[in-house]
Amino acid sequence: MSEVDMLASRGAAKSGSSGAAVELDCKGLLCPLPVYRASQAISRLEPGAVLRVECTDRGSLADFPAFARQRNLTLLSATERDGVQVFELRKEADA
Amino acid sequence: MAIIDTAAGSAALGAATEALEIRGAARRHGRMKGLSPDAGRRRYGDVRELIASPANATPLVRLNHVLAPAADAYLKLEWLNPFGSVKDRTARYLLEGMRQRGELEGRELVEATSGNTGIALAALAALEGIPLTVTIPSGVPAEKLVLLRMLGATVMATPDDLCPVDNPRDGAIALARAIADSPAHRGRYAMPNQYANPDNVRAHYETTGPEIWEQTEGLVRTFVAGFGTCGTITGVGRFLKERDRSIRIVAVEPQVGHRLPGLKNLQEAKPPAILDRSVIDEVIRVPDAPAYAMTRRLFREEGLIVGPSTGAIVHAIGALDSAASGLTVGISPDGGQKYASFYADLVADEVAAS
Repeated sequence: MSEVDMLASRGAAKSGSSGAAVELDCKGLLCPLPVYRASQAISRLEPGAVLRVECTDRGSLADFPAFARQRNLTLLSATERDGVQVFELRKEADA
Repeated sequence: MAIIDTAAGSAALGAATEALEIRGAARRHGRMKGLSPDAGRRRYGDVRELIASPANATPLVRLNHVLAPAADAYLKLEWLNPFGSVKDRTARYLLEGMRQRGELEGRELVEATSGNTGIALAALAALEGIPLTVTIPSGVPAEKLVLLRMLGATVMATPDDLCPVDNPRDGAIALARAIADSPAHRGRYAMPNQYANPDNVRAHYETTGPEIWEQTEGLVRTFVAGFGTCGTITGVGRFLKERDRSIRIVAVEPQVGHRLPGLKNLQEAKPPAILDRSVIDEVIRVPDAPAYAMTRRLFREEGLIVGPSTGAIVHAIGALDSAASGLTVGISPDGGQKYASFYADLVADEVAAS
């Protein structure tokens, strides 16, 4: 992600529009570190913002749906490609 | 009378600093003789020398008011260790073991702790210049978090539901394990892992157990400690059972969802790998309310400023048949100062009524 993209995504997080997301690179981190870092990142976001997390520990496949339910986040997508799991979570107004 | 103002920039500070430098230089040049450590005079060269050992045992103090008259019970005041808890022994043994195995070189430390092991590790690590990260479960008083940060530790507060697919109360352990093992960290972190490290048991087998045996002149009949990391109950239990198989070893377990930091309910938390159930004769379950009620009685009737786990342990001693128990020793793992925020609730009613 270029610096310009990063700024754009931050802007999107603040304005609450969908599309661009705040990125969190958790590749090479074991569970539950990705959830821990996602939890911290979510708490800094405005409602409506989207967090995109990349992980490589397959435990994340079970952790993130449960995390989304617990924290009242919307799991927009969960995909896996080339050993990298990608989760997109949207912070709701009451999360 | 000379008044020295240490406010930055004051002329007096300059003068005071200069005086200290002159004294330091005099000492370095051998014109002022330094004192050598002398344990007999309670004079030490380093705070680490104060960590309890058979040569420098923590005291046993008799309980005279909160138990039935027939009871003959003593508390071993572990909070008189220099960093304030029984975990000073554990932390010293954990670090010594890691150093001997070459696990500390060029690395940082990470450990899961309800606070006391973290505080002792943080103090020892600070003295050695080793960075420490601690993962803390929920329900730890704010005072402990502040102490950890004062000692320079990085504190990661861990919610109970962090690890949805694992044991709910073990999130802090899972998080510390993940920090130590994550490939992205390239082996930068070493984890003492007090729950699985035999050095935790050895600390109590080599120090706490022999101290109790010596301090009771071999007459101890019952020993009571909590389920926590299980280092104390396993290490002391094993030592005492080897001396006399008939000594009764009693473990105290809190209820599910308890608010007794340092203790573990082994239904909601994974039993630590170092727990040896073969040395335990009995488990007594203690709910929070009588544990806190006994803690308050220990403050008021015995003058003992203890943490809530001591209240749980003394409540359990009270539940034993005192005639059958004989000379009983309970552990008082830590002092009460770190729990002021917890105790505020306990006295709130009295404050409101006054």
